[in-house]
Amino acid sequence: MMGGNTANKPKLLVSGKRVDGRGVEDLRQIKIVARVLNDADGSAYIEWGKNKILAGVYGPSECIPRHDQSLYRAIVKCRYNMAPFSGMEEHGRSGPSRRSKELSKVIKEAFENVIIAESFPKTQIEIFVEVLQSDGGTRCAAVTAAAVALADAGIPMKDLINAVAVCKIDGEMAVDPGKEEDNFGESDMPIAFSPRTGDILLYQMDGLLTREELARGLELAKGATEKIRKIQVDAIGKVYAEPKEERFLVIK
Amino acid sequence: MESKIVMPGDIVSDKPDRISYAFVDKGKTYSTVVGLFHDGKLVPLEGPYEPLVEDQIVGVVTEVKFSGYSVEMNTAYAAFLSSREIRERYEMGDTILARVSMIDEVRSTELTDAKKLPAGRLVKVSSVKVPRIIGKKNSMIDMIKSSTGCEISVGRNGYVWISGSGNATLAEKAIRMIEAQAHTSGLTDRVSAYLKSAKQ
Amino acid sequence: MESINEIKRDTLSALLSSGKRGDNRGMYDYRAISVQPGILQNAEGSAMASIGKSQVMVGVKFDIAKPFPDRPTEGVLSTSADLLPLASHLFETGPPSENAIELARVVDRGIRSSNTLDLSSFFIEAEKVLALYVDIYVLDHDGNLIDCSSLAAMAALLSTRMPKVEEGKIIRGEYAGKLPLKDIVVTSTFGKLGERTFIDPSLDEEKGMDCRLTLATTPKHLCAAQKGGWGAISERDLMGLLDISMEKGKELRALLPKE
Repeated sequence: MMGGNTANKPKLLVSGKRVDGRGVEDLRQIKIVARVLNDADGSAYIEWGKNKILAGVYGPSECIPRHDQSLYRAIVKCRYNMAPFSGMEEHGRSGPSRRSKELSKVIKEAFENVIIAESFPKTQIEIFVEVLQSDGGTRCAAVTAAAVALADAGIPMKDLINAVAVCKIDGEMAVDPGKEEDNFGESDMPIAFSPRTGDILLYQMDGLLTREELARGLELAKGATEKIRKIQVDAIGKVYAEPKEERFLVIK
Repeated sequence: MESKIVMPGDIVSDKPDRISYAFVDKGKTYSTVVGLFHDGKLVPLEGPYEPLVEDQIVGVVTEVKFSGYSVEMNTAYAAFLSSREIRERYEMGDTILARVSMIDEVRSTELTDAKKLPAGRLVKVSSVKVPRIIGKKNSMIDMIKSSTGCEISVGRNGYVWISGSGNATLAEKAIRMIEAQAHTSGLTDRVSAYLKSAKQ
Repeated sequence: MESINEIKRDTLSALLSSGKRGDNRGMYDYRAISVQPGILQNAEGSAMASIGKSQVMVGVKFDIAKPFPDRPTEGVLSTSADLLPLASHLFETGPPSENAIELARVVDRGIRSSNTLDLSSFFIEAEKVLALYVDIYVLDHDGNLIDCSSLAAMAALLSTRMPKVEEGKIIRGEYAGKLPLKDIVVTSTFGKLGERTFIDPSLDEEKGMDCRLTLATTPKHLCAAQKGGWGAISERDLMGLLDISMEKGKELRALLPKE
């Protein structure tokens, strides 16, 4: 989201280098571990920059309340939530904020597209994402982790999706904004792709972009989405390459 | 056992083929799950239990109704066992061995041929691992039974019932080990070695 | 469901009367415990603890707050607990359940009664004190969330850095030393079924047992206690379990990071 006092705006791009030394096409460091919880049907933990996010999946299970049920497919539910200790600033309020509710909806809708819900009529599939530590771009990290958690649970999907944001800083399009770029950039555009088809499943944008800038942003995002999928695939592969009987979330 | 691990969305065929756990899009076939693809067949490495008629399952009676019983068996909704299908009478909490007799279009399941199981413990595993826990011609499960002295009923639904006076904890550990390593080779030997060493 | 619980009680009772527990543990043996301190950077303090397959994360944050009117020179300690829906199919989304509230209050009582925190040192100026928030985030439930949460909370407090306060405001990202603590508090929770008691009940055992008793101890004192569940405990139980708690306290403290 944009904000920030433009009088104090720092230079975000100097000779092609961003505040943290990255180039415009460089992602922050991403690390994913799948299968970290014992009770959940599927789970994944992601570190993306300084973001630390945990995703858990339950389902297909009985759809509660009954009136939500569909005779033809599973109902997909999603809760995106931020821990009260996740931000650098104040202690967070309890209960979901309006922002959390909006993100829960757009994330759910991205997965409604790829989950093959017709396989499980009358049931529900629940996706829970907890932001343990936030550092800009949590919704993209949330989608990326949730996709791995769904794959871990064996929920059938048309693709393994992920999301990445693109920003405009000092007039240039750049991928994966960090916290400062989020605050002081001129545009923010989170996008979830289905890498298989190139379909866009989550799309939001604010700021000011020309047609060329939008096209450039989409191009950067597509390149990034391929790199992120590889990290997801490696994380899932590790579950089977290094099988464990008990799961642990290790954060270090 | 050189199979490839495929991810949801990975291509498994350049033609529109009918493969379980795969779907066709624009003339090509793609996997829907994390699985092993080998010889034109896709085997999921994980996933919910999807009942088939004739499956032998282990379930827990959760409700006594007028005409039968609700049986919890690792599906989203309990299965129904009609009183007319059985001679015995059950109570809530009883564990039974039964056969899936019918599944309707919204996946409601009916059971038949039920038999009450004696006191024991329930181990819940991922249903896709059950074939490995049973083994070729029951070889794996027989090995665990004889090694631990337990009676074991393995439900296709992923519910395993361990009873009798043997070492139930050891049996459970062996089953968990198979569940975690189901996709690997040489597992039978490792389980055998584990059972031998644990008995010392 | 009433009857299903009776069945679980009978099964557990049969198991225990043969002197065994489901996972072959001794009656007073903990499952495997691990502690990871200081794992988050935005929070002033943090830790994760696992006991068996239960996993709990605790975050510690400071804010400026108004003191309670009856304690105008003291800081504020506030403990909350979230039984996250991803931790167990038994947990639902929504406002804190009575279990979440009890969990938070029991962990809080151990910290508060032990006087390990000097709340008067949190005084800044009139109407301004530091509030310390301890947030228990249950990530994975396999029983004994009280001990797991207390351990994570204590480890989080041990890792906590005091925020830098300037002109009545917290300067985030800057710190002024570590949070001073007087004593290390730990809890031991026991289950009881019939006449038998056992430590660190797993989720399966919790489903069958009659009641539980949590004892919070510092090296020399009992500082908080809570009995939960419909069953009854005897005086003999209480004295005997206190002795065991004091012993176990040493083991548990050894697992916490040194200051």
